[in-house]
Amino acid sequence: MTNNKLKIKANNLNVYYGEKQALFNVNLDIHSKEVTALIGPSGCGKSTFIRCINRMNDVIDICKIEGSIKIDGNEIIDKDVDVVSLREKVGMVFQKPNPFPKSIYDNISYGPSIHGLAEKKVDMDIIVENSLKKAALWNEVKDRLHEAGTGLSGGQQQRLCIARAISVNPEVILMDEPCSALDPIATAKIEELIDELKKSYTIVIVTHSMSQAVRVSQRTGFFHLGKIIEVDTTEKIFKNPGNKMTQDYITGRFG
Amino acid sequence: MSDITHIVKSYEEELQNLNDNLIKMGSLVEAQLSDSMEAIIKVDKEAADKIISNDAKVNELRATIEEQIVTVLVKRAPMAIDLRLTISTLKISSDLERIGDLAKSVAKKIKPLPHDLPAELISSLRRLGDLVQRQLKNVLDAYLNKSKDSAIKIWKTDEKVDDLTHAAMNEVADFLGQDKKNLDLATHLLFVTKNIERAGDHITNIAESLFYLIEGEHIEGARPKGKDFDPS
Repeated sequence: MTNNKLKIKANNLNVYYGEKQALFNVNLDIHSKEVTALIGPSGCGKSTFIRCINRMNDVIDICKIEGSIKIDGNEIIDKDVDVVSLREKVGMVFQKPNPFPKSIYDNISYGPSIHGLAEKKVDMDIIVENSLKKAALWNEVKDRLHEAGTGLSGGQQQRLCIARAISVNPEVILMDEPCSALDPIATAKIEELIDELKKSYTIVIVTHSMSQAVRVSQRTGFFHLGKIIEVDTTEKIFKNPGNKMTQDYITGRFG
Repeated sequence: MSDITHIVKSYEEELQNLNDNLIKMGSLVEAQLSDSMEAIIKVDKEAADKIISNDAKVNELRATIEEQIVTVLVKRAPMAIDLRLTISTLKISSDLERIGDLAKSVAKKIKPLPHDLPAELISSLRRLGDLVQRQLKNVLDAYLNKSKDSAIKIWKTDEKVDDLTHAAMNEVADFLGQDKKNLDLATHLLFVTKNIERAGDHITNIAESLFYLIEGEHIEGARPKGKDFDPS
C-alpha cells in the first residue's frame, strides 16, 4: 500500500563534484510517511541524492547543486535556507554507526539541547526516554544511560543513532545503508524499527540489499550513472520492472 | 526475457537445468498423453501397462524440479523475471504432473474394455484427444519460444475442448441409451472423456502461467467456457 501525499519533490536536480557531474536532471517524488528505497550500483548517485535532502553536501567545497528540492513545497536548495533547522527536520543515519564519544544519555540529549527543545532536566529525561523507546533500545539501555554509547554492540549503536535522529522530532529520516555493517538479527531489529517509524516519519533508505529494499519499502527508485532510471511501487519494481536496465540490475545480470 | 546472462554463472546453470528438466518433463507427458489416446482407441492393453509404469518417471522429474526450485529460492532469492520463471516453472510442472496422472488414469480404464469399441464413439473421442494433444504440443512450443500470442491462443482454444467433450459425452450417452447393457463400457468412456477434458484444463493453466511469466500480469477475463455436458 502506498499513499499519494507528497513530502519531498526533486526537480531537475544536477549535482557536480568539481568537473565531475554526479546527478543528471533527477526528478523524484518522495511520499509522506512511506519508505522509499534507493537502489543502484556503487557510484550511481543515490547517496549523493539523499545527501542533498539535508544539504550534507554543503560540507564538500567543490560540490555544486543546481535544480530544486522542495519539502512540503518549500525550496531547500537555496543559500538562504537555514541548514541547521533543515537538519532538525531531516535526520540522517549512516552506514557505520557513529555515536558521539559520550554517554548514551548525552548522545540523545545533544540535538534537543542545541535546538533548545528542553528547558528543564526533566523535559530532557522524557525526550531521551521517548527517543530510546521509539528506537526500540530503551529496555536494553535504561539501566546504563550514563555509560559510553560506543560501548554498545553495533546493532545497538545503530539504534542509538536512530534514537539520536528522532530526538529532535524530525519529519524525514534519511538512512544510508543503515544495516550494511550489522548481523542478521541486528538488521531485523532495524527493519522492524523502520516498519514502526514509517507511521510517523517519511523515510528514504539507500540500500545495496535488494531483499531489504523489498522488505522495508513501499516505493523504489533505481539510479544508474547519476540518472534516475525507474521509480515505481516496490512490488512492481521487483516483480515486473518496466525498464530492462532495472531488471538486469536487480536480477544480478549487470554487465 | 533478458539477453544478458547472470554475473554468477552457477545461477545461470541452475535456471538452465530447471528449464531443461521442465522441457524433458513436457516431452514425457506429451508422449504419455498421445500413447494413452492411441492405446484407448486401439484398446491396446499392453501399451496401457507401459503408460501406467512410465508415470513414475513423470513424478520423479516433478520431484526433481520442485527440489531445484526450493534450492533456487533459498540460494538466490530470485527477483523480477527470475522470480516469475521460478514460480511459473513450479506451477507448470505441477500441471504437467496432473496431465501425466490423467493419461495414466485413461490407461487404467483400457484394461476392462472389450477389444473393439463402436466406431462413432472412437471418432468423437479421437477428435477430442487430437485437439488436446495439439494443445499440449502448442503450449510446450509456446513455452520454448516464450510466445505470449500462442499462450493467449491456447487459452482461448479451451472452449473448443469443452465443446468436443460435450459432443463426446453425448455420444456416449446415446450409446448407453441404445442398450442398458452398455452401462459398464459407457461409464468407463465417460471417465476417459472427462479425464481428457481435465488434461485440457491443465493445459489452459500452463498457458496462464506462461502468460504471467512473459508479461508479469495475469491473462485478463475469466477462463473461456464451453457448453456443459447435458445428457438430456
